[in-house]
Amino acid sequence: MTDSNTDFVRRGRCWLFGDNVCNDGDMIPFHFVPAREQRPEILKDHCMIGLDPEFPKKAAPGDLVIAGRRFAQGNAHIQAFFALKGLGLSVAVESIPRSSLRNCISAGVLILPECAGITATVQTGEDIEIDFRTGRLTNHTRGNSTHTYRPLDEALLHIIQQGGWEAHFKDRLSRSRSGAVHPLPT
Amino acid sequence: MTSQTLTQKILSRKAGRSVRAGEIIFPEPDLIVVHDWYSANAGRTLRQFGVERLHAPDKVMFVTDHEPIAVSAESAARQAEIRDIARHFAIGHHFDVGRGGHGHLFPVEAGFVTPGMFVEAYDTHVPNYGAVGALGFPMLNEIVEVMALGSVWIRVPGTIQIRLHGRLTPGVLIRDFAQKLIADLDAELVNYTVVEFSGPAMEHISVDERFTLCNTPIEIGAKSVLCEPDAVVREYLSGRVDRDFELPCSDSDAPFVHSAEYDLTTIEPYVAVPPIPDRVVPISAVAGKPIQHAFVGSCASGSLTDLQEAARYLKGRKIESGVRLFITPGTQAILRAAIAQGLIDIFASAGAVITAPGCGPCAAGRIGALGRGEVSINTGTRNDPGRLGARESEIYLASPAAVAASAITGRITDPRELA
Repeated sequence: MTDSNTDFVRRGRCWLFGDNVCNDGDMIPFHFVPAREQRPEILKDHCMIGLDPEFPKKAAPGDLVIAGRRFAQGNAHIQAFFALKGLGLSVAVESIPRSSLRNCISAGVLILPECAGITATVQTGEDIEIDFRTGRLTNHTRGNSTHTYRPLDEALLHIIQQGGWEAHFKDRLSRSRSGAVHPLPT
Repeated sequence: MTSQTLTQKILSRKAGRSVRAGEIIFPEPDLIVVHDWYSANAGRTLRQFGVERLHAPDKVMFVTDHEPIAVSAESAARQAEIRDIARHFAIGHHFDVGRGGHGHLFPVEAGFVTPGMFVEAYDTHVPNYGAVGALGFPMLNEIVEVMALGSVWIRVPGTIQIRLHGRLTPGVLIRDFAQKLIADLDAELVNYTVVEFSGPAMEHISVDERFTLCNTPIEIGAKSVLCEPDAVVREYLSGRVDRDFELPCSDSDAPFVHSAEYDLTTIEPYVAVPPIPDRVVPISAVAGKPIQHAFVGSCASGSLTDLQEAARYLKGRKIESGVRLFITPGTQAILRAAIAQGLIDIFASAGAVITAPGCGPCAAGRIGALGRGEVSINTGTRNDPGRLGARESEIYLASPAAVAASAITGRITDPRELA
């Protein structure tokens, strides 16, 4: 594992959403799913428009999406997370269904998946910083107040840092060709 | 040695060390199953990534269950592409059209799956293998990583223990309990856990019924489902499996994240109403609603026992005018048994249509679809809008007994009224 600590720190504006943000419809228009569109540079212009039509124009790289329980619920389609990736965003949520968490990791989007009570600690527009390796959130708008949540396992952070599933798979493949019988990521 | 759940035991064996819930591991499955709506994509992805050889092609199985009867030229071309991929990558087991049946049923029926095995599959309902105490994990596109390299990351799940007591009463089937259970359980509690069934009632619950038990918890986010393997499983597998196997089970003081008890005697017929499988009501709440479409089959309820239960009501009766009923035997072997037992004669005489073994209409309504404004009662896995065709249709999920009774009257009907 060679990732540096700074690879896992993001600072930007907070975008706060509530509970039960729906994967299809809220996070990404459903028609991209049957169309099998997976390019972040296309999907980013449609990110979260079911909840805020202006969101793709307002959000900037480094910004953080904070949401409540069951984020990306419903049928898990990875397009929702490729859209977040296209805008350069990261995520911290109170809870997320397993299939959507897997999509988030596969898309290469940093996430804190188990942040009980986080939606009560931030407001949209506040200047916040999250270290995804330690799980520490710092709210610079509120006098640098901090909260710490459980971070993702190192092995999963490493997959995200590689860029997501495709890059991770390619890396394992190349190491298997160079002789590793059963190449694991660490 | 710390006490472990059955899931921890199975995954510890794969990891070569004792594992705890929450750990990330790369376990190598004993069997990898890919169905006919993804096999071609898997082959293309493998080629795109430059994969020449699979890690263990003899452990890979292609099944043809979603669309055994190609309904278009494109589908026929896809089947041809799958045959080419199976040859190219020397896939160990390719069950082509008419050669097996439903990939969540016949590998168990044919003895490929034994207690304690770990299986990964491209399809959400592989936890069906928990019927014989094997741990099935669904995968999506990452199944190609397993095919190429032998493993993919998983997080060791916690286990929810459900202990069953008592006996079901006449006219009430295990599907009724399974639906009631997922309505009762908190989806956030179930998220990424294994639901494990055990208890004194299990000695009366057949492997066919266990397929149904293991099928439904997935709809609220369980990672997998297990029935504690026991004498019922050993009896079922005798004659199907010629290799030795053990009956591993959770330690009595295993670290379950939650435990619940159910008395099957108290269960009544339940129906899942649109638009999600865990929105469940007693059948009396929707009884009388006119239907135009009915279906018995799917990986949830496509066993011989399910067909027998439907036949019990359809014998000597006719389906109501204006209703179409589709019957999908889960596998080729179930179809043959249904013929031998006279069930197919009962269905055809009643006016039902028998489809090819496999998923039947439940695979997105590619056959036997619903039109706008139509209402279906069926034993499929899900009732999302558009699941069986038109988005402007309604799907009610119920037991094979309730589906058969409703097809006879043309209205949603409590099967106990026709007994």
